[in-house]
Amino acid sequence: MKYEHLYVVIEHEGGKPIPVSLEMLGEARRLMDGYNSKYGASELVVAVVLGNNVRKLCDQLVHYGADAVIYADSPELEYSRNAVDTPVLFQIATNRDLVLKFAPKSTGFVKPRYMFFAADNIGRQLSSTVVGYLDSGLASDINKLAISDLEIKHEHKTKGQAMVYERTLEMYRPDFSGFLWTTILCLDNRNPAIAKEFHPQACSIIPGVFAPIERDATRKGVIVDYAPTFDPESLKVKILSRKIVKSSVDFDSKKAVVSFGRGIKGSPEENIRMVAELAKELDAEVGVSLPISKKPFPVSENVSSTYMTPDRVVGTSGRKVTPLLYIAAGISGTMHHLAGMKESGFVLAINPDEDAPIKGECDMFVKGRMEDVVPALIEELRRLRPALEAKR
Amino acid sequence: MMPDLYVAVIIKLEPDFSEGNVSYNADGTLNRAETKSILGPHSAIACQAAFLAKVKYGARVAVGTMGPPNADIALAQAQQVCDADELHLYSDRAFAGADTWATAETLRAGIAKMEGSSSGRSMDIVFSGHRASDGETGQTGPQTAVKLGSTFLGNVIDYDVDMQRRVVRAFRLITLQGFYDVVEEVEAPLPVFIAIDPTYKASFNTVSQRLAFEKYQKQAMGKAATVKQQIKVFNAQQLGTDPKLVGLPGSPTIVYRVEKIPKAKASRMAQVVDGSDRRQLAQVAAKIHEVLGGMVIK
Repeated sequence: MKYEHLYVVIEHEGGKPIPVSLEMLGEARRLMDGYNSKYGASELVVAVVLGNNVRKLCDQLVHYGADAVIYADSPELEYSRNAVDTPVLFQIATNRDLVLKFAPKSTGFVKPRYMFFAADNIGRQLSSTVVGYLDSGLASDINKLAISDLEIKHEHKTKGQAMVYERTLEMYRPDFSGFLWTTILCLDNRNPAIAKEFHPQACSIIPGVFAPIERDATRKGVIVDYAPTFDPESLKVKILSRKIVKSSVDFDSKKAVVSFGRGIKGSPEENIRMVAELAKELDAEVGVSLPISKKPFPVSENVSSTYMTPDRVVGTSGRKVTPLLYIAAGISGTMHHLAGMKESGFVLAINPDEDAPIKGECDMFVKGRMEDVVPALIEELRRLRPALEAKR
Repeated sequence: MMPDLYVAVIIKLEPDFSEGNVSYNADGTLNRAETKSILGPHSAIACQAAFLAKVKYGARVAVGTMGPPNADIALAQAQQVCDADELHLYSDRAFAGADTWATAETLRAGIAKMEGSSSGRSMDIVFSGHRASDGETGQTGPQTAVKLGSTFLGNVIDYDVDMQRRVVRAFRLITLQGFYDVVEEVEAPLPVFIAIDPTYKASFNTVSQRLAFEKYQKQAMGKAATVKQQIKVFNAQQLGTDPKLVGLPGSPTIVYRVEKIPKAKASRMAQVVDGSDRRQLAQVAAKIHEVLGGMVIK
């Protein structure tokens, strides 16, 4: 068949998989198991890895659900460079001989049927350029997937006729508000005037959403070595240095995170100041909900540039945090935000609205406006101080 | 004198999410009809980065956007940020409804109409924002880079250009989930496409740079009154786009369904506390200390 298999582009750091890589494999495994039984097919989950000395990683990818692994091993692929990786991934995704190594009966392969990338800094960009090379469509930041036969009636795609698109990947992405789910489809143009086939159906997947499958060291898979051809022009893009930096925002080593959201609106400047003070009292890091990073309220430049920043966002397009204590002040709790904090130890929410979704994700719900509750809570925490210090 | 460096910025008209300008429906979704539109914040940062090229290297700056006629507001705002020499609006019903891949095709055709793209050369640097604050895909930039055949550099927090060697050196901030953040210093021959990271901050180190900064800023202010006359509007015919590659017909993807995200099943049973009751808040404080093991007193 022209379009077969699900290719998963793996990311790793020095041969260790980045968690989302195994998460993508897990979801790929579940989807393709369902697909194969539904359609009586035997299409595979194919992991694709670029790197330097990554042969060992390939075994691990099989243990986590890949049926086959295509890897390209070269010092030129040590660290990801979009300009270098894009043509290599394009070569791999369009190489029929590679497919014959793990699916010997395959005939007429042109491109993968489906393709997954990670929705992180590297994968988001790589997905755009690779799928661009493949001249197909891409959906970003997906957190739910299904494969179905869908009847489509579309002005352009089907020239207004109802037509069934079989084996279509339904790609769900939460929109920026966190309240809406948009299902994106990548469909061939069947309208003769604009006829064109779009494959693979591809997406980038939000880290931390899907569960990896349980590791099974007895799983067997075919591992295929690919020797890429490098475009000499692309190799002129050089990494001169690479420094590990600590983000000035530190969610990982703090025991507590205090986040705020649109509930600051009554008096933004003062509320942020109080949240910062509460965080200081608890030696906590300050987080924000996604809308806050869009700077919706006028505050002083110092407060804005310190707190209303993208690197503080907790949620699917920000960080996933797992502190012992998570305080959500004035945050309603969209799916976007909950995904970033729901694995915290103890969750305390401060919110005037008992219908807010955050209530279902917290252990203690303090009903009230944050301008009233936060200062009072700080006072109560300070009142406890002498007793605790005496205990020590 | 011919400038030695031609740069472009692609920008987007976006909903203004600031309080007072944004309007939400009762269900929490954006009320687009009632919400004002402005130059997107990430686009504005891309304009700042382009302005740096003007101040430091005397670059000629062109700004382009695809959008409805009222996207001229975004161009006017962009002009104030980067003292643009050329302002383009690509506007045609044929472009409407485009997904990111079809948008990239329109932008490619538009960039080809910029002065720096004439006589067969390409723009030396094209800047875009990190992502739009409404669409949030972050795809249009890199997809436009593919269409242009330029090297793509994303998450750029700082850059300079070696004008002799015609090479850009960029610093990129990359977050590796579960590991750490990395700042990567990378060099690439021109032409390049740079998507600017939200944390980018322009810095002008020398006196001459600061003087140039002030000069161009004044110049931009001087142009403000007549900015809309400077905008060149291109329709599909003028851009020479293939109708099969732009707008809805050129979009591989469609939006199939929009639904409200169902409220997740409660995963925790919250104890509800009255926030106006001090006695109850004292218990909350005690619980916090218990959770943190009483260790956090500073």
